[in-house]
Amino acid sequence: MDAFKIFIVEDDVFYGEMLRHYLALNPDNEVHLFKTGEECLKNLYRAPAMISLDYSLPDMSGLDVMRQIKKEHSDIPVVIVSGQEDISTAVALLREGAYDYFVKDDDVKERLWNVLKKIRENVQLRSEISYLKEEIGRKYEFRNVIKGNSPTIKQIFGLIEKSIKTNISVSITGETGTGKELVAKAIHYNSKRAKKPFVAINVSAVPRDLIESEMFGHEKGAFTGAVTRKIGKFEQASGGTIFLDEIGEMDLNMQAKLLRVIQERELTRVGGNELINIDVRLIVATNRNLADEVQKGNFREDLYYRLLGLPIELPPLRYRGNDIILLAKYFVDEFCKENKMKKLSITESAQQKLMGYHFPGNVRELRAIIELAAVLTDTEQIDESHISFNSADAAGNLLMEESSLAEYTRKIISYYLQKYNNNVLLVAKKLEIGKSTIYRMIKEKQI
Amino acid sequence: MSQSNHSNYCLDKLIGFVGDDPEAIKNMVNLFLNTTPSLLNAIILSFKEGSSETLAKSAHTLKPTLDVFGIRDTYDLIRNIEQKAKRSELDETMDKQIKQLTTTLELVFQELKIDFQLS
Repeated sequence: MDAFKIFIVEDDVFYGEMLRHYLALNPDNEVHLFKTGEECLKNLYRAPAMISLDYSLPDMSGLDVMRQIKKEHSDIPVVIVSGQEDISTAVALLREGAYDYFVKDDDVKERLWNVLKKIRENVQLRSEISYLKEEIGRKYEFRNVIKGNSPTIKQIFGLIEKSIKTNISVSITGETGTGKELVAKAIHYNSKRAKKPFVAINVSAVPRDLIESEMFGHEKGAFTGAVTRKIGKFEQASGGTIFLDEIGEMDLNMQAKLLRVIQERELTRVGGNELINIDVRLIVATNRNLADEVQKGNFREDLYYRLLGLPIELPPLRYRGNDIILLAKYFVDEFCKENKMKKLSITESAQQKLMGYHFPGNVRELRAIIELAAVLTDTEQIDESHISFNSADAAGNLLMEESSLAEYTRKIISYYLQKYNNNVLLVAKKLEIGKSTIYRMIKEKQI
Repeated sequence: MSQSNHSNYCLDKLIGFVGDDPEAIKNMVNLFLNTTPSLLNAIILSFKEGSSETLAKSAHTLKPTLDVFGIRDTYDLIRNIEQKAKRSELDETMDKQIKQLTTTLELVFQELKIDFQLS
């Protein structure tokens, strides 16, 4: 850990030396003593973690020194240690941003030690937060988030790189499980807004009656149950990015309100009158085709064009070829690392089985399949017996297998009979075939 | 160090700051003996010259040091001098107070020199 740098600004040689000696009793502290305000200001480049400042200095007042410090380094805590017992002086200094104010009396020793402890804790917390933010940034470095070598994924990398250089709105489309939120986070944490919040809201998960309050906040008493003021997601994301997932599910009334907020860059909390300026970057995602929804009258055209910005369409996993194996290997390695297991390999037959599947749940489903396989195996290999597909989309699966037309027919009719509770008449109607065909196949025990 | 029983000073506060380290205490006492006489002289001189601002400033600077050395009666005395100087009341009472302060401090300087074997 770096030394905790403390500046003491004290013109009384004896008192200054005594404070220096006292604070240096903790070997983690690096204490520097200055006799004038000017000397202190000249040395600010050394970035002290705290400044103990006497109010009465020979060259300038403590207030002037503090103002200069705050002008250049607003985050350095300045503690006034003074012989001034005048309360109005203390109040004025605290109002100007002094961290604390002590009179040089019997308690100064304990108070200084306590305030130092508090500042050290704050500095440590700030450094931890900064470290964690960097960690998150590294975690969401987009090439760590989106794995793949397929041409479609390389195109996506190019679009993400373009999106992080500007503040343009981004609309992400793709089937469920393709990683829309991960892409949104990758854009945020690699952009200039990375140190500000990333706030996500799933529009479809919030009841219609509450969505406005959730997004824009509400004032106390705005509606039954609004017992306190609530800050909405847009305000929480101030300076950062708001991610509106499943935007296609938003009703028309709310779409009109969202459009107004985006256009005016200001909002009013539910039940409030105050206009609040907002500075957020917008990223939206949907698994619907919004252009189609506009045609159908379910989505406002003006909002659609506002949100479209830079469109990124995430491809379904089944169209990403060898990325399936690359991702499978990545997930198995991650799982083994997280669970402190020996490294596992994926056999050729297991890889073939994965490549033959159509993954309706996309990357999310692949991850679940791989993690289950890693748990099921008793060896250091995952083979095809450990790979099990539980997709409800059996028809989709069916088409991934190479079969004869007769076999496809048999499987399709079996699937429909199961689905419609063996109602032959209904199945025949659905498949537009004669009921006698189905009865014949049953009689011949084909199904 | 051997503090005599008749001392006009008390080092408890100083020890609280620098710890029970004889070498450190001796260094601080030495510093006190080197810096305080000039502050005292500044008080005497500014009173003679009628410079209340310098007088208030010097008294203000000396005040916490006298507190740390636990010098009997001098803390209230220096506080009074500072307040009166701020009000520009450089009168006979203050003259007496400065003389009293000088006498006490000179006594303390002597005691410290003997107790700490400092010249």
